[in-house]
Amino acid sequence: MAEIAGTMTGSQLEFARRVDATSTNQRALDQFLRGVERRALRMAELACGSRDDALDVVQDAMCAFVKNYAAKPEPDWAPLFHRVLDSRLNDFHRRRTVRNRWLAVFERKEDDDTLDPIEQAQDLQDPGPLLRLAGSEAGKALDAALKALPLRQRQAFLLRMWEGFDVATTARVMQCSEGSVKTHLSRALAALRRALEDHQ
Amino acid sequence: MNGNQHSNDRPAWINRSTQLLDDSVRDLDAVTLSRLNRARQTALAQQRPHAPRVWLLPAGLASACAMLLAVVVWQPHHRSETQPSAAPVAVDDGDSEETSTEFYQNLEFYAWLDAQNKGGDG
Repeated sequence: MAEIAGTMTGSQLEFARRVDATSTNQRALDQFLRGVERRALRMAELACGSRDDALDVVQDAMCAFVKNYAAKPEPDWAPLFHRVLDSRLNDFHRRRTVRNRWLAVFERKEDDDTLDPIEQAQDLQDPGPLLRLAGSEAGKALDAALKALPLRQRQAFLLRMWEGFDVATTARVMQCSEGSVKTHLSRALAALRRALEDHQ
Repeated sequence: MNGNQHSNDRPAWINRSTQLLDDSVRDLDAVTLSRLNRARQTALAQQRPHAPRVWLLPAGLASACAMLLAVVVWQPHHRSETQPSAAPVAVDDGDSEETSTEFYQNLEFYAWLDAQNKGGDG
């Protein structure tokens, strides 16, 4: 190996060092992306409504993440990846809103602010609606309830409850204040609970 | 930092929801998994370093020399082609037409002058 290194020029040695460092980083990146890709796809699918669009969004997010944040420390990767994904989902949502604006005249969604705060209060003693549903039926009910949520509320729920991020990290991912995260999450929980109760 | 960290202090239906979400990503079909794999590979391919392009400098120099040579060879040839066209332009000015009109107007005078010269010679 030393002989091989001896015959290399300076630029070749530098290149070899870069290849070695990059391959180590690539293995870590590959492992990280393998770990998050399925959940990212699920999040994107809930936001986009179609698997093809979701796969495009996830690939786009992966490319942007690798391009911009691969050199960041590994512990920061998860929030950064979800920040990129959240940004891509917002873009997708915005484009679709513009495309389908004319439809809004015919089907106007209920405004977030019209929720009754009393309804949002949770009863921790009640086991909850999903426990009374079983198997695929519960999965379908949850899927429908999540799809019906506004994008920001759904993201707050998935990032806080499913990904397990704390409020501060979720706020950084969603690029909003911690107060907004708490508001979005509270409304999401109330809406989910109500939707799943209605499903019964 | 993932969904498996189900907390005991939150309502049971939320834990059940996250469990259902976990189940939904566990059983993805082969086509979707393949497309995810391809997406991951595409993303990772962006990061692979490119070999240093040592041939770029000599190639650039050679191109520059070739262009310089082409300009040097072509320029005198181009100049020799354009030079002859300058002479007729210089001769062919507006005076020639005026001169010939004047000549025809004084034709009788020139004929007399010619006759005088011939008479003088003879």
